[in-house]
Amino acid sequence: MEDITLKDTWKEYGNKIEESRVLNMQSWALNLQCFEMIQSQKAKSKLKTLTVAKIAGIITGVLWVWFLGTLVYYNNFKNLFFSISVGVIFLFNIVAIINYIRHLVMITNINYSETVTDTQQKLSELQSSIISDNRFLLLQFPFYTTWFYSMQWITSSPLSFWFIAFPITLLFTFFGIWLYINYSKKNLHKPWVRSLMEGSGFNSVTKAMDFLDEITVYKKEKA
Amino acid sequence: MSPMHTNADKETFLNLLKENRGIIFKICNSYCPDKNEREDLAQEIIFQLWKSYAVFNSDYRFTTWMYRIALNVAITFYRKHSKTTRTIIFNETIPEIEDRKDTQDETSENINRLQQFINELKELDKALMILYLEEKSHKEIAEILGITETNVATKVNRIKDKLKQKFSTVHNV
Repeated sequence: MEDITLKDTWKEYGNKIEESRVLNMQSWALNLQCFEMIQSQKAKSKLKTLTVAKIAGIITGVLWVWFLGTLVYYNNFKNLFFSISVGVIFLFNIVAIINYIRHLVMITNINYSETVTDTQQKLSELQSSIISDNRFLLLQFPFYTTWFYSMQWITSSPLSFWFIAFPITLLFTFFGIWLYINYSKKNLHKPWVRSLMEGSGFNSVTKAMDFLDEITVYKKEKA
Repeated sequence: MSPMHTNADKETFLNLLKENRGIIFKICNSYCPDKNEREDLAQEIIFQLWKSYAVFNSDYRFTTWMYRIALNVAITFYRKHSKTTRTIIFNETIPEIEDRKDTQDETSENINRLQQFINELKELDKALMILYLEEKSHKEIAEILGITETNVATKVNRIKDKLKQKFSTVHNV
């Protein structure tokens, strides 16, 4: 088929869409009142929802960090286990807040009127970093099982500590590290990793990363 | 958030939208074969256009700006709904058109085939092909997609060859 025929077919296609009023646009898009309706759709905007979620996350995070900081401050290392555990969780959450702020900046920088490849690249980067950046948060798991440790407990009731509390901490440590290591794209070919990751949003991140690769290749000229 | 729009802005915007509504129709049909979701996509595109209209840079042509926004919204929409979109069989793509009596003529068959081939293309190639078929210059396509003109020319030729090959295969069967 020649160029001209392809373009004529496309034109004819446009005419048919127009005639058939596929989107019934005349009834709403060309009516001034539709703007009120469209404005009310703002809440539906995914990026807006994400922005609100990130702001809420930052506020909650700041309150949580403030609470943890107060606990560490007033404990004043009276119980070393408590201070270290809560202190580490505090630091993890500080980094999480910084990530949330970074995501917020990334969202702000997304502009649909920029070139298609640039905008899609930014959207995919945002999507992949939202989960990937927070992967390290998995490493804080064990510290939620150690804050109530005390020297007194270890000496007065060693059996319950060494046979119940400590193994639980070990389990959480291994699980956290295991998840951290395996929560990556390169392991997705393993069925057991894949099934574990499904539903956690990891697949959409993988897709976003693939699309990022695709855009990078697309931008390169090929002879 | 975009600055306040005046009534005059609304009217100008609506006129521009009316003149260029074919762009939205075609993009929606190409990226969203599901009739029920298509209206949502059109609405989202118009919303983004309106939202960005207040900061529209008149250094660009209105259509260039419109294509950028419409394609960005459509690709994002398509990627979110890719599970359903990608599995749709082409015959379901434009049922409204097939209601007409002359559906079986050659033009309709060609339209169906062309739309089917475009649907099979990846997101970015699809955008490129739509722009090419809309008779946009390589320069404008490059501005919309954010790639070089040489790259546009190479890719257009490659996709066009594929399309022609598919058309000729179908005709020879």
